[in-house]
Amino acid sequence: MSASRNGAAPRNRLPKQGLIDRSQVLSFLFDGRRYTGFGGDTLASALLAAGVKLMGRSFKYHRPRGVLTAGPEEPNALVELRSGARREANTKATVAELFDGLEARSQNRWPTLAFDVGAVNSLFSPIFVAGFYYKTFMWPAAFWEKLYEPVIRRAAGLGAASMQADPDTYEKAHAFCDVLIIGAGPAGLAAALAAGRSGARVILCDEDFLLGGRLNGDRHEIDDSSGRDWARRIEAELRSLPEVRIWSRTTVFGAYDDGLSGTRTFGALERVADHLAVPRAHQPRQRLWKIMAKRAVLAAGAIERPIVFGGNDRPGVMMASAVRTYVNRFAVVPGQRVALFTAGDDGWKTAIDLADAGVPVQAIVDARRDITPQLLDAAKRIQARVFSGAQVVDAHGSHGLEHIAIRENNGRLTRLAADTLAVSGGWNPNLALSTHVGGRPGWSDAVAAFVPGDMPRGMSVAGAAGGSFALAAALREGAAAGADAAAAAGFSNATPPRWRTDDEATALTPLWFVAESKAKSFVDLQNDVTREDVALAAREGYRSVELLKRYTTLGMATDQGKTSNLNGHAIMAALTERAIPEVGTTTSRPPYTPVAIAAFAGPHRGKHFKPTRLTAGHGWAHERGATFVETGQWLRAQWFAAPGETNWLETVSREVKAVRGSVGVCDVSTLGKIDIQGVDCGAFLDRVYVNLFSTLGVGRVRYGLMLREDGCVMDDGTTARLAAHHYVMSTTTANAAKVMQHLEHARQVLWPDLDVQLVSITEQWAQYAIAGPNSRRLLERLLGSAADISNTAFPYLACAEFSWRGIPARLFRISFSGEMAYELAVPARYGDAVIRAIMAAGDEFGIVPYGTEALGVMRIEKGHVAGNELNGTTTAADLGLGKMMSKKKDFIGRVLAGRPGLADPDRPSIVGVIPVDKSARLYAGAHFLTSGADATLENDQGYITSVAFSPMLGVWVGLGLLTRGPQRLGERIRAHSPIRGGDVDVEIVSPVFFDPQGARLHG
Amino acid sequence: MADQEFTPRAAFAGLADLAPGPASFARDAGVGVIATDRDGLGLATVALRKGQRESLTQCVRERYGIELPQGPHRAAARITAVNGAAAAGIAFIGTGPEVWLATQEKGGNDFAKSLEREIGGMASVSDQSDGYAVLRLAGPKLRDTLAKLILIDVHPRVFKPGDVASTVAAHVGATLWRLPDGPDGAPVFEIAVFRSLAASFWHALAESGAEFGLLELRALA
Repeated sequence: MSASRNGAAPRNRLPKQGLIDRSQVLSFLFDGRRYTGFGGDTLASALLAAGVKLMGRSFKYHRPRGVLTAGPEEPNALVELRSGARREANTKATVAELFDGLEARSQNRWPTLAFDVGAVNSLFSPIFVAGFYYKTFMWPAAFWEKLYEPVIRRAAGLGAASMQADPDTYEKAHAFCDVLIIGAGPAGLAAALAAGRSGARVILCDEDFLLGGRLNGDRHEIDDSSGRDWARRIEAELRSLPEVRIWSRTTVFGAYDDGLSGTRTFGALERVADHLAVPRAHQPRQRLWKIMAKRAVLAAGAIERPIVFGGNDRPGVMMASAVRTYVNRFAVVPGQRVALFTAGDDGWKTAIDLADAGVPVQAIVDARRDITPQLLDAAKRIQARVFSGAQVVDAHGSHGLEHIAIRENNGRLTRLAADTLAVSGGWNPNLALSTHVGGRPGWSDAVAAFVPGDMPRGMSVAGAAGGSFALAAALREGAAAGADAAAAAGFSNATPPRWRTDDEATALTPLWFVAESKAKSFVDLQNDVTREDVALAAREGYRSVELLKRYTTLGMATDQGKTSNLNGHAIMAALTERAIPEVGTTTSRPPYTPVAIAAFAGPHRGKHFKPTRLTAGHGWAHERGATFVETGQWLRAQWFAAPGETNWLETVSREVKAVRGSVGVCDVSTLGKIDIQGVDCGAFLDRVYVNLFSTLGVGRVRYGLMLREDGCVMDDGTTARLAAHHYVMSTTTANAAKVMQHLEHARQVLWPDLDVQLVSITEQWAQYAIAGPNSRRLLERLLGSAADISNTAFPYLACAEFSWRGIPARLFRISFSGEMAYELAVPARYGDAVIRAIMAAGDEFGIVPYGTEALGVMRIEKGHVAGNELNGTTTAADLGLGKMMSKKKDFIGRVLAGRPGLADPDRPSIVGVIPVDKSARLYAGAHFLTSGADATLENDQGYITSVAFSPMLGVWVGLGLLTRGPQRLGERIRAHSPIRGGDVDVEIVSPVFFDPQGARLHG
Repeated sequence: MADQEFTPRAAFAGLADLAPGPASFARDAGVGVIATDRDGLGLATVALRKGQRESLTQCVRERYGIELPQGPHRAAARITAVNGAAAAGIAFIGTGPEVWLATQEKGGNDFAKSLEREIGGMASVSDQSDGYAVLRLAGPKLRDTLAKLILIDVHPRVFKPGDVASTVAAHVGATLWRLPDGPDGAPVFEIAVFRSLAASFWHALAESGAEFGLLELRALA
């Protein structure tokens, strides 16, 4: 190890070969110790090269664990990468691409990886069986949440989050293609080439950073070149095709719905900058792709299956194919004394590759009695001892494998020194994506594994993912699937290319577990599920694979049982004397590998969680020091604090007094505005409003109230008639979209016979309310000769359209404040200039800008209902507006508003309340109780909906909904607010607190 | 008070400074996306009146040399001897059943008025020149940038000049149409969003394009 720290060749690195860039020396830290690796290494390969075998501690028993695989199925070698805010847990060392400066730490150990206190759990392992926590920590119940769970969670778990905000950015993007190819091994490359040559738009994804799949880890010949050179050649041709996109470092993690045309949606995660210490400027860390593919080819390969035997979790016990990958691709020999334990022909390749790389193979243990002469010849050539019909029953060694015990076919137990045991139990097709939309795998006796059953529409499978483990078949099937998929997507000129390749022996007699093993035999290494746990589940009746999973945690967590599920199910089958297909297998759901939540959020974080709508006057209000409030997506000025003001109430009271004393201006652009045109627009409005609008004169405005179909109030606002066949409706800010939908539904579905056209013009107009006794004088100055706004020419509830200094303008004489008031609308691009002009013209009157808070105070002083009262539960009568409901016509909500429950005279109705003690504060939400009544639901008489401090009256005032309220004026009751301010005695009064005659309105 | 004219403020005014930056490596890559502010473009919603389909079709054909598009397509005016200059720079964009967005180069608010005069009895016209903020988008990395914003396939084989889509771009409602290709033969798009959302949309566009190269906001030449 010291050698590697000095930068010399690490001891386990072969002097040549491998798909690594030896000119690129990368320095990295593991558990604080410095190592070096090469470009093209993974963290796992670089650590193995440096002789590091111990990479983590197990989940439950804290047993030392090494690396098992060379891919994303890795259950053991989970590490924390990076530090500070970029720290991330549970990265598989087998897929973490090495970069210079990488910091990695082992997980699940304390204080150190080599000496872990939690390993005492292993001594108590007889009691830490499946279901242990549920059975043991039952009493007292309260202890579970407070004591047991926190302690257990600290001891177990996989890694820790940084608890800091992620400094990197994430993106979401969409892609469309004719053919999506999932996996760039031999089958995927062949499919991509066949489809790509046809001219189809192809996306080829592979989770690895290097295309080629098993061609990189194995030694093959295709035509007259090596498999890996063939892969480079195909990749080069694919890159020359303009409509082929190649995404390495990209995992297709889910298959989702398809459309009528057969186009299916897939989710994919591109790890754009995971292989860099810090993403480059403007580069996202990861990108989440939503891929719409007309056709898809699943060429995801297969995952090699372990064999369950005693001590099979010792560091040094590895998958046979992983050993080949480390040797051939990374030029790393995982150990010096290697043995092989296999159930099929495929495992023998590992022995041959090792020997050819100069590493002697101590023994080949094959569970089968009959071995082909070709394999026996090969063993002879590499001088490996062959144990046929034998099994490894135990593996020993504390921090790493030291020796294995072999039960020979003559019954003798042989001990053999070994630091590495390559294990091959066969291959499981990587079929997860074929099951995401409901497909069920089917059992194949031929390959002793589950293979894809009925494929989802538009999706085909090729190569090992479909159970065809030989290279020749993968190439043939891939080429055919690619050509077929392109043809189905409309590119019929595709001809599948052909290649020549070597024959392979792939015979297998499955061996799931070694029955004789007495020592702990791990089925699921990630969750520490042993063969005994499966047996316990069987004894206790959890025999269904779904129950087995939940009871023992088999197949849970980050690897989702990629190396363990089938073995667990096979053990259950043996225990319950059923066949494996009868036992079945669990359902795989997206995502295939874990996806960070940040990738799903994409750029929509913090303030960009949702878009913000700004009015044309926003910049001006910002300059004036406005405090803004969110109203739906809109930002509205809440108040405009003046220098020296210390709290919002002081500011708001000043604004109210200034409006009522002279004049103020408020940006009301956010209110919904709907153009309603057509011959039948008057009739249409009569049907959607409770009151009549067809009788409204041109140039006049009327307040309108609309109900939902169920008879409750939906929204209110004013509607102006600009011309015989042209009205403009205003809605509340909050309900603008809802009202538009409601009207469109009425127009398109309820009364398609009416000639009515609806257009939202909210965004077209910047609109300002100018209110106060000096509002007319201000407007006369501002508008000049553009419009006559004298009281006779332009009385209360008049409206007009005119041209003003070369721009279109609309003026409405309406009031929410109770003052003489106007709303002036101009095209939004002039909104900024016009608010400045209003302020300039109002200067001599001491004009103030006011915000939504002052607006609210003034409407409460006037008893006008707003959102707090239009809360979806109130009727027109509840709000004191029952008389508006016309009896001369039908309208939406009329019939259901007459239901007994809604017409009940005892319903809470609108009243005003003032505190008996004039200095007391009122709180919205306080419930009405008669004096002396207990605060119980039965005694509840309604509640306060809105409160404000009235600067005009010098007292808090409120609006509320009180049972038979209007008949109880003068009564004193209690406003009960146990969570805010306690009880206040209040007097019931008219809801109109200020200027009850409305004299000010008419000026 | 003197009756001076008001100074209009473009929807995207001042936003160019908000592009993520400094675009160090992006600048090396050259300009990836060019956005041109279409401030001043006259826009109006045209909604068919009942029973007026034929007369509107005929009127639009005669006055503007435009075949009123059926479905999501854009049709630009052909200037003829009859329609003269009145049709200059006018296009109709299908945005919904019996609804179009009509546009006129530099038409401003007067465009809706002139439309009202020409087709008022056959369709309801609403001025939207200020309601929508429109950008013209081009550049070598435009498709890659749009891929991050919209779930619409804008591959040249699929989304052809004259095609229109109503969609959502980074949670912002948007109408997108493809114009005839630019002089360099590259695709050119225009995208309209509600004016109040211009800043949010710009932020999303600038962030999406930053990786590929400097996003440049240009005023209309």
